[in-house]
Amino acid sequence: MVVVDSDSEIILRVKGPLELKCQLDTSDAQLMQKVISRTFESLRSQVKSESCVLAVCDSPVFIWPNRGALATPEEITPNAPYEDLQQWIQTDDQDSAGKRSAKKKSKRSSSASVINLGLMMEVTQPGPLSAPILSKTVQKSHFLTTTLPMDCVVCTSCGDAIKDACERLLEALTHQLCDMEKVTLQHMRGPTVLVPEVLHFLLPEPKGLVTVVYPAGVSDSQLEAQRKELHQQFELPDDRPYFRRANAYHFPNEPYKDGYLRNPHVVLTHPTLDNGKVYLVQGIYSYHHYMQDRMDDNGWGCAYRSLQTICSWFQQQGYVERSVPTHKEIQQALVDVGDKQTSFVGSCQWIGSIEVQAVLNQLLGITSKIMFVSQGSELASKGRELANHFLTEGTPIMIGGGVLAHTILGVTWSETTGQIRYLILDPHYTGAEDLQLITDKGWCGWKGPDFWDQTAYYNLCLPQKPKVI
Amino acid sequence: MGRGYIVEDTVERYLSKLCEQAGPVTGLLIGQSSAQRDFVVMAIRTPQSEESTAGNSVDKELVSEHARQVSRMLPGGLSVLGVFIITDTDVKDTLTTLRQLVFAVENLISSERLWNPADDEVTDSVMLHVNTKTRKTVCRTFDVKDPKSTAKPADWKYQSGVCSSWATVSCCLNVNLLVPLPHDKTSAENMAECLKEGLKVWAHQIESGVCLIDGKKLPEDSELIAGQRRNVRQMFTAQLLITSKDQRLPDVVQLCGGSVSVRGAIHSRAFLHSNKPKAKLAEKLLKRDVVSTVASRVQMLLEEENQSGDKQQTEQLCLPRRVFCPVKVNGPVCVCDYQFSDEGLAEVIDRLKEMLDIDAAEEDLDTRQEMTAEVTESSDTAGVCLESLCEPAVELAEASEPKKNNYIGVAMATAVALLATAASMLYLSDA
Repeated sequence: MVVVDSDSEIILRVKGPLELKCQLDTSDAQLMQKVISRTFESLRSQVKSESCVLAVCDSPVFIWPNRGALATPEEITPNAPYEDLQQWIQTDDQDSAGKRSAKKKSKRSSSASVINLGLMMEVTQPGPLSAPILSKTVQKSHFLTTTLPMDCVVCTSCGDAIKDACERLLEALTHQLCDMEKVTLQHMRGPTVLVPEVLHFLLPEPKGLVTVVYPAGVSDSQLEAQRKELHQQFELPDDRPYFRRANAYHFPNEPYKDGYLRNPHVVLTHPTLDNGKVYLVQGIYSYHHYMQDRMDDNGWGCAYRSLQTICSWFQQQGYVERSVPTHKEIQQALVDVGDKQTSFVGSCQWIGSIEVQAVLNQLLGITSKIMFVSQGSELASKGRELANHFLTEGTPIMIGGGVLAHTILGVTWSETTGQIRYLILDPHYTGAEDLQLITDKGWCGWKGPDFWDQTAYYNLCLPQKPKVI
Repeated sequence: MGRGYIVEDTVERYLSKLCEQAGPVTGLLIGQSSAQRDFVVMAIRTPQSEESTAGNSVDKELVSEHARQVSRMLPGGLSVLGVFIITDTDVKDTLTTLRQLVFAVENLISSERLWNPADDEVTDSVMLHVNTKTRKTVCRTFDVKDPKSTAKPADWKYQSGVCSSWATVSCCLNVNLLVPLPHDKTSAENMAECLKEGLKVWAHQIESGVCLIDGKKLPEDSELIAGQRRNVRQMFTAQLLITSKDQRLPDVVQLCGGSVSVRGAIHSRAFLHSNKPKAKLAEKLLKRDVVSTVASRVQMLLEEENQSGDKQQTEQLCLPRRVFCPVKVNGPVCVCDYQFSDEGLAEVIDRLKEMLDIDAAEEDLDTRQEMTAEVTESSDTAGVCLESLCEPAVELAEASEPKKNNYIGVAMATAVALLATAASMLYLSDA
């Protein structure tokens, strides 16, 4: 596995397909393994040869890493700092996740920028060389054809030369081919050969970005042994997933295709209270709200949307594979557990925390704790419980009371003064996925204790995360 | 407004000489088209067929077949632009025949191509009629994309040094194809089919590849000879960078009846007219030549093989090597021929005379661009393999013979692999 320290400013990522082709006699497993190993060996030679070329995406720059980082255009010299490459890249100036105001720029310095490179082969060479030979082998056997999706990530320190960056990339590529060979041989069963797939995972500091090769088509549930090994290797706790496919890192230039905003709260400035500490949701969730998915649930769907936000958390942390349920699916689940009549499906009826708890259990297998407050003013005294929840579970909380439902994403709480603020994600928003608007207008924002109806009662659903990897 | 043909002086002399022959003479016109005008570099009379057709009928099949074979001998940038006829019959009476001839030629040539013309390309073919009695020349064009097109008048102007300052773009390119043979049928036709499919995929990779000219990636519309003096001969070297096709087939492992590979290097060359040619034209013409030269040679090899009959299980055949011959005009333009490993240069000279009506001597031929392929005796696997992507393909044939004892099989495979690796390393260090 390759480890990248995400504190560095720029990540180099090289991707490209490499063709894997060979004739196999599948009646002899050992021979098959030898042939496949040999084919991987020749791919490694190919990558280490002078014909290997790294093309800097969206630029006229091409580098020959095995020719001392010879490059075109000729202004690029092997000893120049690799950051120079950025000047040559043509970008469209847009952030991937909607607009951001200058004030509320992301505080994380590790929103690293990425230089993308493509792996290419030069097929030309100075001549003269020998004319081609056609070789024919007639023998009944099998033929293996596939493409290896090379995808390596490397970090270099500021000021590193292009030459050194290239060396690291080459190392990463050959190493990945070895990993792919292992995975392919490991999962070979007779005439079936599985293709490797590459995923990157962002581990907590200081470990950073890690690359793993999995066999494609094998579900997460069958790869538990591999994940156990990885958890041990990286000294990660064994009660939450880090290496499921859903945990894969999304690079800054690869926006989520579904259009939902992720973690809009990260652009906010957290409140400062005397001796106050911030306790936040851990991980990634999507913002679900009124009117999305062409579903007009304005006025009644707020709890459904909060539930969807919670489901999105469990999916993106890798605890469940099923997609976020629709209103109908939520309603059907309640009918299936006997909580509602069949006429409930397709209706516009509200649900509350108890129903949210029931659906989380029925559809996702998730248990939740219910917290009850008889009046809204009591919420101000729940600082410790809420803080603990975010510390130990880190899941979004659904809160329902009176006629409104909201999602609590975190609290800022002072143990000494008892002051408290709540980070609220409001499902009543009906507009577009405009991050600036949503944060400016407080649809995702910090609220004080007066946000709650002081006399109404509230139920909170606190989902518990399973202790699995 | 009709097209304008700028024609080499030498063509005028050639056609005049043909006027002195008895009977009608047909032939091909060779050159390059561009948006504004067309350039004719050579004229070639149709060779005499064995069964000489008495009378004045024009043999469409003979002319088309001649055009097909001539096309294989033209490097990039040169193509059959049309036909000529030298006859004492009036143009009005020959127009229909000539029209049919133009279409027949174009149809046969385009059926062999592995690439499709772009939308913005010129699709006119020219027909030149020379009347031996009046010495009048009539020039007409037909749009071969439109079967109903009518003859349009065109200008025919002779000039000297038409291609004297044409640019040349060339490269030496490694080919490494490996295709499986179908499981249930292994006849020769099937091998040809499989190869054709494999060539199509490879041609697509070449076509989508990145082309560097003299080490730089030029913007498409930039002029190739920007700022250079005209009348200075321009030679450019190209480099091609490709990526594999990202194919995810549902069945990674399929049954096969064997495999066929084509490995080695070819020299590719394309000529560009000197009227402000763009970088993208150079790229297009060179890539087409790359694809054509490999496809033509494979085709020629298969045609030869079909005639030789006896099929072996495992065999290695050498593709012919490309030999260039300058055209007798002032300038860089060359034609080419393919020399099989069992042929001498005399055969090449004969073909140049018969097919292209060129009188060449051995000293004129450029044989330095490609070396004759050789099948080595030490291991008939690596041969002249420059990038040993998939030796296992042939090695398996040796290894699976002693099926009884797997250990021996494995040991043999390893031994053969080592031999092959050693052989290929030798070649790699030589190159």
